[in-house]
Amino acid sequence: MNGEAILPYLIIIPLFGAFAMPIVSLAGKKAREAWAVIISALTLVVASAVFYHVWKTKEIIVYTLGAKTPFGQGVGFPIRIVWEVDLFGAIMVLTVAFVSLMAVLYSLGYMKHDTGLEKYYTLILILELGMLGIAITGDLFNFYVFLEIMSIASYALVAFRNDTWEGIEAGVKYMFVGSIAGSFILLGIALLYGQYGTLTMGYIAVKIAENPTVTAKVALALFIAGLLFKSGASPVHMWLADAHPAAPSSISAMLSGLVIKVGGIYAMARILFSIYSPMAHSIVLKAYLQPYINMSAIGWLIIIFASLTLIIGNAMAVIQTDMKRLLAYSSVGQIGYILLGLGIGLAAYGTQTGEVALAGAIYHTVNHAIMKALLFLVAGVVIHEVGTRNLNELSGLAKTMPKTTFAFLIGAAAIVGLPPLNGFASKWLIYESSAVFNPVLGAIAIIGTAFCTAAYVRVLYTFFGRPSERVANARDPETSMMLPMLLLVLAIVIMGLLPWQISDKVMIPTARMLEQFKFEYINALMSLAGGA
Amino acid sequence: MIPFQFITAFLMMAIGIYAFLYKRNLIKLILALNIIDSGIHLLLVSLGYRMELNEPPTAPIYTGYETLKSAMVGPLPQALVLTSIVIGVCVLALAMALTINAYRHYGTLDVRALRRLRG
Amino acid sequence: MFGYWDALYFVFIFIIGLILAWLLNEWAKKSGMGTRETGDGTKIFISGEDPDKVVPGFEHLEGHFTGKNVMWGLTYALKRFFRVLRDDHTGLLTDYVSYLLITTGFVLGVILIWG
Repeated sequence: MNGEAILPYLIIIPLFGAFAMPIVSLAGKKAREAWAVIISALTLVVASAVFYHVWKTKEIIVYTLGAKTPFGQGVGFPIRIVWEVDLFGAIMVLTVAFVSLMAVLYSLGYMKHDTGLEKYYTLILILELGMLGIAITGDLFNFYVFLEIMSIASYALVAFRNDTWEGIEAGVKYMFVGSIAGSFILLGIALLYGQYGTLTMGYIAVKIAENPTVTAKVALALFIAGLLFKSGASPVHMWLADAHPAAPSSISAMLSGLVIKVGGIYAMARILFSIYSPMAHSIVLKAYLQPYINMSAIGWLIIIFASLTLIIGNAMAVIQTDMKRLLAYSSVGQIGYILLGLGIGLAAYGTQTGEVALAGAIYHTVNHAIMKALLFLVAGVVIHEVGTRNLNELSGLAKTMPKTTFAFLIGAAAIVGLPPLNGFASKWLIYESSAVFNPVLGAIAIIGTAFCTAAYVRVLYTFFGRPSERVANARDPETSMMLPMLLLVLAIVIMGLLPWQISDKVMIPTARMLEQFKFEYINALMSLAGGA
Repeated sequence: MIPFQFITAFLMMAIGIYAFLYKRNLIKLILALNIIDSGIHLLLVSLGYRMELNEPPTAPIYTGYETLKSAMVGPLPQALVLTSIVIGVCVLALAMALTINAYRHYGTLDVRALRRLRG
Repeated sequence: MFGYWDALYFVFIFIIGLILAWLLNEWAKKSGMGTRETGDGTKIFISGEDPDKVVPGFEHLEGHFTGKNVMWGLTYALKRFFRVLRDDHTGLLTDYVSYLLITTGFVLGVILIWG
């Protein structure tokens, strides 16, 4: 099986599916739903193949658009758009495809009473396409285009129910500030292009290592600020708490589970580790007394934002009375853990602590995608059956909706980090490495978890409490909504039972590949130079 | 010396940011968004501009390349700006649609009225 | 330096915990006064409060909001902290933009000085 041969289908299938959707939906409601499910299932198959290939060979796939090699005739630098998939990208591709399929399946039942569904399914496939594109791209401008595709689709989906004021208000706030953040990223790309004259990530890395200028630093600052916004870190998390609850629940699951990870965390890791290669700057250039960019200071910068995010996000979750808003704030808090792992991975670069922290961050990205998707799907079921998401009116759901409550219990236990569920493994890696790196950071992480526990205990008490009249007629939902929740619960339990194996076989190699001690990301690109 | 196009570009971004901080009307905010975008586009396009032998550059059209006296502008920034303009139009259209809907729900375009979600 | 875990241990500990809880429950049933199989004694008490008791003047709060008081101590102790956070989230678009600009400025400053 050839990785380069199957990679384009990751984009082609959802792109074709999305824009064929209005035509297919002329054939009726059933055809539309079947088409959406088939397209996302096919994408999942291709994504699994890509992941398996990269994981098996431990080699970076380099795919050039429209030619055999990215290098032009007679020039020594890449001029074409390339896609580069390393293990982190492949993991994100797999997660995106899986959670998107769950969201599409869930939409069949959940969105049954809405109109304009052909637009809905088109947008959901475009959202998936944008995220897949970000995960596989190796070209900066291509990255920006996919980022905007993803962002525009998510702005539109947040405001999908335009008959409610909530969706519109949240959509306006998300869209306007998000566009400014996108402009910052574009400005950073323009500055890098003006300084170095190339857009290929691997080649920019070479150029920056040769000559780290102030422009490169300014561009890095713009990237970090824009991507912190997109990932919902404090103090720019406020759009997240407004926008994620306002969207339909299947979309909230994708937004909280995937968009902030791929569009924020993954992109930031890619830029920090692949473009501003810390191996070159922190170790090689430093040793030869050349000018370099101080990557450990940038690691500390991210750690500061991570600590703020951890405390504020989890603390705000405690005092919410709106169930989906509580979950959205909890997402902010969990992003804090991932950023903490990323920051320590950068600040303690080259040590085992850094590697474990980075592995923990990647592991938690995957875990949180699954857990938060499950929790938002449960919240959607509650809204669908009871018609409210105010925790004050939801008491006693456990009596009438036992399966849903069980799913919520598993999700909440996993996100708090109770063993033997999957959240424990990744959080443990982050606690342990942060405690080794700096005990204060470990203490902050534990305080964040205390707040997180408090928030979820409140919800669980409400669910198991005394039944109110409001919930008396609620029932467990139909199969198409139950099935995705069941699959996510299964994923949580299975991943929780094999933490050691997953960590050793997948996450540690991923972290090692991302750290690129031997400049793998650059070499994979530059080794094609002779092939023209 | 910094070329005047760069100064203009950053000035346009500053104007957009100023409008975002001090203007209250949603339509004006949409305009501000476009001004920021245009500033970045101006920066990108002027990155491709280069003088050779004191001749202004021509458009990057490759037919009849040999007979040209002067240099061509960089074609890549122009492609980037074209793509970026398309994205900008998408954002503009969606922002207008959201603004119309906001007016329907709130009866005003004042951004200070859009604050039911808080806390 | 980095220890690992085995999920199986936690399953064992969980089962042992369940057994302990069951034993505790049995012991409480035998020796306690309030817990009976039927009748009034089956009521569950959270934080010593009788959920069936109607306090005069507070009838509208009766019984439906079991989650509200669970974290009362935490929210009361950190009242000021929470109020600051709540007031900070103004919901104004302008404030969101200014926070984005402040963040950008901070990141830019840090990277230019120490980066």
